[in-house]
Amino acid sequence: MTIFLEQIINGIIIGSMYALIGSGIALIYGTMRVLNLAHGEFYMMGGYLVFFLVVAYAVPPWLAIPIAIAAIFVLGMLVQRLTIAYLLPREEWAFATIAATLGLSIFLQNLALILFGEQFQSIPYYLPGVVEIAGLRLPQQRLLMLVVAVITIAIMTFVLAKTRFGWALRATSQDKDAAAVVGIPAARIYTLTFGIAAALGCIAAAMLAPIYAVNPWMGMPVLFKGFVVVILGGLGSFPGAIVGGILLGIVEAVGVQVTSSEWRDVIAFGLMILVIWVRPWGLFGKPR
Amino acid sequence: MLEIEGLDVFYGDFQVLWDVSLTVGSAEVVAVLGPNGSGKSTVLKAIMGLTAAKRGRITFEGHDLRRVPTHGKVDLGISMVLERRRLFGAMSVQENVLLGAYSCRDKAEIARRLEWVESLFPIIAERRGQEAGRMSGGEQQMVAIARSLMSKPRLLLMDEPFLGLAPRIVHQILDIIRKIHAEGISVVFNEQNVQLSFGLSDRGYLLESGRVVLSGTGDEMLSSDVVRRVYLGG
Repeated sequence: MTIFLEQIINGIIIGSMYALIGSGIALIYGTMRVLNLAHGEFYMMGGYLVFFLVVAYAVPPWLAIPIAIAAIFVLGMLVQRLTIAYLLPREEWAFATIAATLGLSIFLQNLALILFGEQFQSIPYYLPGVVEIAGLRLPQQRLLMLVVAVITIAIMTFVLAKTRFGWALRATSQDKDAAAVVGIPAARIYTLTFGIAAALGCIAAAMLAPIYAVNPWMGMPVLFKGFVVVILGGLGSFPGAIVGGILLGIVEAVGVQVTSSEWRDVIAFGLMILVIWVRPWGLFGKPR
Repeated sequence: MLEIEGLDVFYGDFQVLWDVSLTVGSAEVVAVLGPNGSGKSTVLKAIMGLTAAKRGRITFEGHDLRRVPTHGKVDLGISMVLERRRLFGAMSVQENVLLGAYSCRDKAEIARRLEWVESLFPIIAERRGQEAGRMSGGEQQMVAIARSLMSKPRLLLMDEPFLGLAPRIVHQILDIIRKIHAEGISVVFNEQNVQLSFGLSDRGYLLESGRVVLSGTGDEMLSSDVVRRVYLGG
């Protein structure tokens, strides 16, 4: 029973990371209707940035992680300006953006391979201790992941609900022309949204890198998990992605406990297929 | 204050506006008339930049509007009520109206504008928290006009403001447009019904297949054979 409970808690913690990745994909899809196939590579670059800062330059993690997040935020905006912003006004933008982000994903993976090599790199735990609560043993590192995820989601929820930018983002996602007509600069909102989504991926990378390894291909599985999350929650829905992420984490953890770890992805994609089957608009979406 | 000269607009390879010229003076109400598919809406969309112009000049108080992005036109003093209202359906009435003042950062000024808009449309204050998408068409049109007024425009473009509304609501909207005009705001609207339009506008332009075939004051146009020919095909 204790092991089972520990697994559920672990599932929630990993799920909160899926939520960060999925919510980035959802924000980008929700505002500009672009499927960002390079999302995993922002995660990968974030992982490498944290690795180099912490391991090679001995920067303390509490400083290294914010630096990495800021850098990936700027990089995300730059990438959006140079690719998506240029393609969106075109007639064939829907396919063009998929092709462009897929190309970018392949390019960045190979660039990382050339620059950093194929070795798997590891980052030491930021907090090495273990906490015992009511007979449950939890590594402090995992607890830290949960705390970071909760704070990030709380900040994002506040930004979307209460700030001028959040209003503009929600208005633009609902109706681009109506937003432009009231004076909202959609292009600027798109660029900022892309940067924020990339930064959310970097936060997940910074927290997961000590547990998984840093390598050029680390973004791919994460991208697929992100898609599962977004489909569970409803395409383009931010709260949907949060709930979808945590749900996926729990189902995976329990499923692996019942079967074995080789079944992890089978369970994840099985859940996705089930949702597409019975509720194709996702948990938070609306049927069309 | 607004001048359009030699405007050509294409949708893909298909030309929808041919050499359209039109002017709107200060505090003037101008109707853009014509049957379905004559390009009325395209004229308004091209002014706002929602549809790209291929050739021609569009200037507003000396500014070349073709060089200004849509959101920038709001800062110049132009606002638009889109066809079929296009409210942010998942947001409240209050949020919709406040978004109309997006480009204004002065809270006191926003409060003043809100008070003004609420005096024109009491429904805004009554239904503050209601989800805009759940209102009736006529109520949504009121919110849409209120939203467009929150940017304090000097020129208001209204794309099919009467489309699909009950006669009683049409009369309410007509009254509102008269009030807006009385505040010194220029209004350009499009409408199929000529009689209805000239109850409201100083001047009109009649479009047929993307070309201006007639323009003038209400009396001039109502007595013209061209109107009868365009509408009745006689």
